[in-house]
Amino acid sequence: MTKDLAAVSPIPQQDPPQEPKKPHVDNGKPIDDTPEELSEEDLQMKNELELCVQRLKEPNDALYRASLESLRTIIRTSTSSMTSVPKPLKFLRPHYPALKAVYETWPESGDKAFLADVLSVLGMTYSEDGKRESLKFRMLGTSEAAGDWGHEYVRHLAAEIGEEYNARITAEPPVATDDIVALALQITPFFLQHNAEADAVDLLLELEAIDQIVPHVDENTFARVGLYMVSCVPYLPYPEDETVLRAAHAIYRQVKRLPEALIMAMRLDDKALIQQDYDACEDPIQKKQLAFMLARQTVSVEAQDETEQEILANGKLSESFLALGAELGIMDPKTPEDIYKTHLETRGTMADSARLNLASTMVNAFVNAGFGKDTLMLVDDSKWIYKNKDHAMLAATASLGMLQLWDVETGLTQIDKYLYSNEEYVKAGAVLAIGMVTANVKNESDPAMALLSEHLTEGPLSVRLAAITGLGMAYAGSGRQEIADMLTPLLEDGGEVSCTAALALGMIMVGTCDGDLSSTILTLLMESPAVHAKSRFMGLGLALLYLGKQEACEATLETLKAIEAPISKSFQVLLEIAAYAGTGNVLKVQAMTRLCSDHLKENDEWQAYTVLGIALIAMGEDIGNEMALRTFNHFMHYGEPVVRKAVPLGIALLCASNPQVHVLDILSKYSHDHDQDVAVNAIFAMGLVGAGTNNARLAQMLRQLASYYAKDPNCLFMVRIAQGLIHLGKGTMTINPYHTNRTLMSRVGVAGLLTVLVAMTDAKHLVLGKSHWLLYHLVSAMYPRFLITLDENLKTKSVSVRVGQAVDVVGQAGRPKTITGFQTHNTPVLMAYGERAELATDEYVPLAPVIEGLVIVKKNPELMETDKE
Amino acid sequence: MPGGPPKKGDKDKDKKKWEPPVATRVGKKKKSKGPDSAYKLPPVFPTTRCRLKLLKMERIKDYLNIEEEYVTNQERLKPKDDKPANGAAAGAAEDTSDERTKVDDLRGTPMAVGTLDEIIDDDHAIVSTNTGPEYYVPIMSFVDKDLLEPGSTILMHHRTNAVVGILGDDTDPTVSVMKLEKAPTESYADVGGLDQQVQEIKEAVELPLTHPELYEEMGIRPPKGVILYGPPGTGKTLLAKAVANQTSATFLRVVGSELIQKYLGEGPKLVREIFRVAEEHAPSIVFIDEIDAVGTKRYDSTSGGEKEIQRTMLELLNQLDGFDSRGDVKVIMATNRIESLDPALIRPGRIDRKIEFPLPDVKTKRRIFHIHTARMTLAPDVDLEEFVMSKDDLSGADIKAICTEAGLLALRERRMKVVADDLRKAKEKVLYQKSEGTPEGLYL
Repeated sequence: MTKDLAAVSPIPQQDPPQEPKKPHVDNGKPIDDTPEELSEEDLQMKNELELCVQRLKEPNDALYRASLESLRTIIRTSTSSMTSVPKPLKFLRPHYPALKAVYETWPESGDKAFLADVLSVLGMTYSEDGKRESLKFRMLGTSEAAGDWGHEYVRHLAAEIGEEYNARITAEPPVATDDIVALALQITPFFLQHNAEADAVDLLLELEAIDQIVPHVDENTFARVGLYMVSCVPYLPYPEDETVLRAAHAIYRQVKRLPEALIMAMRLDDKALIQQDYDACEDPIQKKQLAFMLARQTVSVEAQDETEQEILANGKLSESFLALGAELGIMDPKTPEDIYKTHLETRGTMADSARLNLASTMVNAFVNAGFGKDTLMLVDDSKWIYKNKDHAMLAATASLGMLQLWDVETGLTQIDKYLYSNEEYVKAGAVLAIGMVTANVKNESDPAMALLSEHLTEGPLSVRLAAITGLGMAYAGSGRQEIADMLTPLLEDGGEVSCTAALALGMIMVGTCDGDLSSTILTLLMESPAVHAKSRFMGLGLALLYLGKQEACEATLETLKAIEAPISKSFQVLLEIAAYAGTGNVLKVQAMTRLCSDHLKENDEWQAYTVLGIALIAMGEDIGNEMALRTFNHFMHYGEPVVRKAVPLGIALLCASNPQVHVLDILSKYSHDHDQDVAVNAIFAMGLVGAGTNNARLAQMLRQLASYYAKDPNCLFMVRIAQGLIHLGKGTMTINPYHTNRTLMSRVGVAGLLTVLVAMTDAKHLVLGKSHWLLYHLVSAMYPRFLITLDENLKTKSVSVRVGQAVDVVGQAGRPKTITGFQTHNTPVLMAYGERAELATDEYVPLAPVIEGLVIVKKNPELMETDKE
Repeated sequence: MPGGPPKKGDKDKDKKKWEPPVATRVGKKKKSKGPDSAYKLPPVFPTTRCRLKLLKMERIKDYLNIEEEYVTNQERLKPKDDKPANGAAAGAAEDTSDERTKVDDLRGTPMAVGTLDEIIDDDHAIVSTNTGPEYYVPIMSFVDKDLLEPGSTILMHHRTNAVVGILGDDTDPTVSVMKLEKAPTESYADVGGLDQQVQEIKEAVELPLTHPELYEEMGIRPPKGVILYGPPGTGKTLLAKAVANQTSATFLRVVGSELIQKYLGEGPKLVREIFRVAEEHAPSIVFIDEIDAVGTKRYDSTSGGEKEIQRTMLELLNQLDGFDSRGDVKVIMATNRIESLDPALIRPGRIDRKIEFPLPDVKTKRRIFHIHTARMTLAPDVDLEEFVMSKDDLSGADIKAICTEAGLLALRERRMKVVADDLRKAKEKVLYQKSEGTPEGLYL
């Protein structure tokens, strides 16, 4: 029937000649080949086939070649419906064993190899599982292109290659695998040419030879291959993921896609590779785009050009941010009351108290962060600082740094007048403010170092602590040795100073695996194992040195295990979780879960870190993210108080600046928990989850909480802070450490966020006590969530863009859409978590692969006038 | 006002440690679907067979194993905690069984079934029995008061009629079928063109449910419903599906003809029931397809059936904009004969937005072609412009049919790619079938 139609059809059958797709038989289920009535054509075919087989069995070798040729033609040209085995293969089934026997008897010749080819194809449908006869005969065959026999054959072959490879390496002793790898490399190009990039990558991953794919990838296939490979990375075990990333990097380099290659290099965190990619760029405009991308990740490379240096130093950040603010019309400062909306609260709250003044200070700082305008601090002869007492004055003065965030020059002039105050806390606050102003921004004249260095060793304790912390914030992630050298001696001072210094060093040298520093801290721990509320920061500082470095932490970890001090366990956990941050390593998640399943009654502080650790490890990929939320649910059910109070913090880390409704519901439930610590942390977590989103639902929830906790000063303080966080930068900022399409993890951001969360594990003594300024560590994680397009001269250029929910398009055929439910805006626009943008016009092309942050666009040279409608 | 409350608060604190008041929730409660849905397993993409999918599935399995290990460990540890006080534990077990029998005694047998009419305070309620009379009765302390709500079925003590238990609520099965349990797979990405329409339906239906505050700030009442109309095959139902796919609100889908019932009064009752369920599960969206089945213009009719249909529509009118205000219930209707609908049904206030779905223009056609061919492998000789620019009246459905047909033709040829000729043949076939029955050819 089908044949008839096909014969009549005028449609040429020209397309891929190798296409007779051979269907699978279900697990070699016996095919019913009873001699039912065959149509004439079938009968003819059957006879032809049998004739060929017969000839092969005969000793006359002159006819071999011809009959093999005809066998091949028949097999290749057969067509039938999708659900059954092609007829020729069906008819040849009874002869398969006979043909195998024939093969054995033949002498070596070209014909023998030819027969092996045919047998290999037949082996696909007949042989039982585990024998891999297709592959066997394939190796013996003529090794002509496998693709000629059709897709199904190639797929089958790929599967057998994978099996064979595994069998060979597990064998004792392991057998060499060069031949099958070579075969795999033969069929890889076929896959790549036929929309089966996933198959190609899978095959080579299976053979642990993914780097071999590079030469086969070209302009047309690199995007899909690269995307697929990168998507696999979070799910691969340690050394393999790096190999895949390096292969992807090589692919992008090969097709001259430097921005993509640079992203890979940043993901690998390979300084040399980054520098190499950066230097390889010849187009000056493209290079500036690369500089923008590097600046977002706060990576420093050497650049000659002055503009590039400024970009790399994030020098324009404040300017761009203010331009965005002006464009959106949100330059007017907001008062804390605008945020609280107390008139909407059902029950009157307490009249002003010192606590609430402090809350207002912080809310004011968070809400007006970076705008350099507010109603409390930056007005003419502000008296606000003096409305606070003692350490609250510190927070108030320091809030100046947050308000002037990134704007070094104006910021310093504003702060300057407080720097020489006689009041100890005002001075300390000003010192801290200087550190904050320069967070994530580099400045040639190094004002932070110049101004803060003198306060490190002298003066009252609070000023010294502020100076150390300030340096940590200012140079977070810079890895500058001279700053580290200034701070290292302070480690010896003992008490709070050494802990704070360790933390600051951790921030500065984040992810550098600095051996000297870690040994200094270890010695310190061995010598003076004094325990107080801030000891944890020493551990955190040590841990940050190894942030994301995976196995590099092992040596230090072993040393820690040998130390007897009771706090050593905390240090170990912190170190381990930081080292595996964002890797999604399930084994580590399992280890952490085991650790917190014990019910210890004392000395169980470290269990809180295991909970944070699960979040920290799992946040790298979506699956782990959601599954970790499930695990946390069980923790809430069974856990000890120390575990339970850390769960909201873990959730906050998983969903920073990403207010999903179900997460809000969970947190809202926890915010009414009987255990006050849990409630306080849940409220804070609500703030972090909604940070910088202006989420109305969350704001409503918090207003209700404000009424509910009207008489509980601790909870109310937290509610206020959370309200401030939600409106962080009036809804223009994010604290999520992931950026560039959620592929890159900003180490500095993680460090800042983690510091705050670790502080919150003992909220009562730290954040709710006198160390509330620890919350300012969030400054490291703060970044505007804007999209600004610039023209070639780095002037802002308004371009219409579509912004919508990102769609996971990995492995889909054709040209699937990458965003859904989009809306069209003109830049600059704000982008929420999980959103993606694409240019709505063909008039411009972006120079960055991921349209996020600052993007340079240039005129599309291929634009045709006719396309305009 | 300020100054007063804090003093009081301070006083309270002096007396005893102040505890936040426990919110008593009596009466209608919102079903919080949120937390439960958080514990679903995450979806896995891509759906094609590949290693990435395997890896992701394995990752989920690993996590589930971790969870299992943790939970079993904890369950095992639990009784151990009690072990030190072994005697006490045994005593406790005895106590609980004692208490259980006591509760059973209090319940008494046999129990009667009744309906809760009203809750007076935390311990008292008015109930009615099936036989008719209403009673003012106590609620036993062991009854879970969170589950009690007016209208629910309860167990009562046979003599005192006290509330001793609660039965799970029973909803009308005919309505619960309409509730969409599984979201359709079509999303906005599958809608070709129709940008205007998508935007309008989003503004009218989705935004009011997700961001009600925007409308409040603007000082307008969000639209209650929309009607989608246009020729067949232009994507009305598809768009409704996309809405259902996108929203987390309850989605009820009804076909107009379902509202026509055999017995007098059943149709209006069903309409009422639908809207009641919709309100219970608010925020929700009610989608009535082919509304012309019940919504045609009223006229004098002697047929009882006609009258009944008209009464069903009148009930619908009332539900849409009647005396009671519906909260977060949005209505989407679809028809291809808007001119035959009763003007009262589509007046503003009931249906605030009329969204027309025209036959696709050239640009939209191109988009639709691209959507349907996006997942097909096309041979290089295919030029979609040829089909896009043709003058035939093609609706979205026709285009889809063409693509499917072309795919089938290619399949028949056992080719992996669709060539231009396939598409051409498919188009002829589809157009031929479409004009079948209209004897235009005869008169040429």
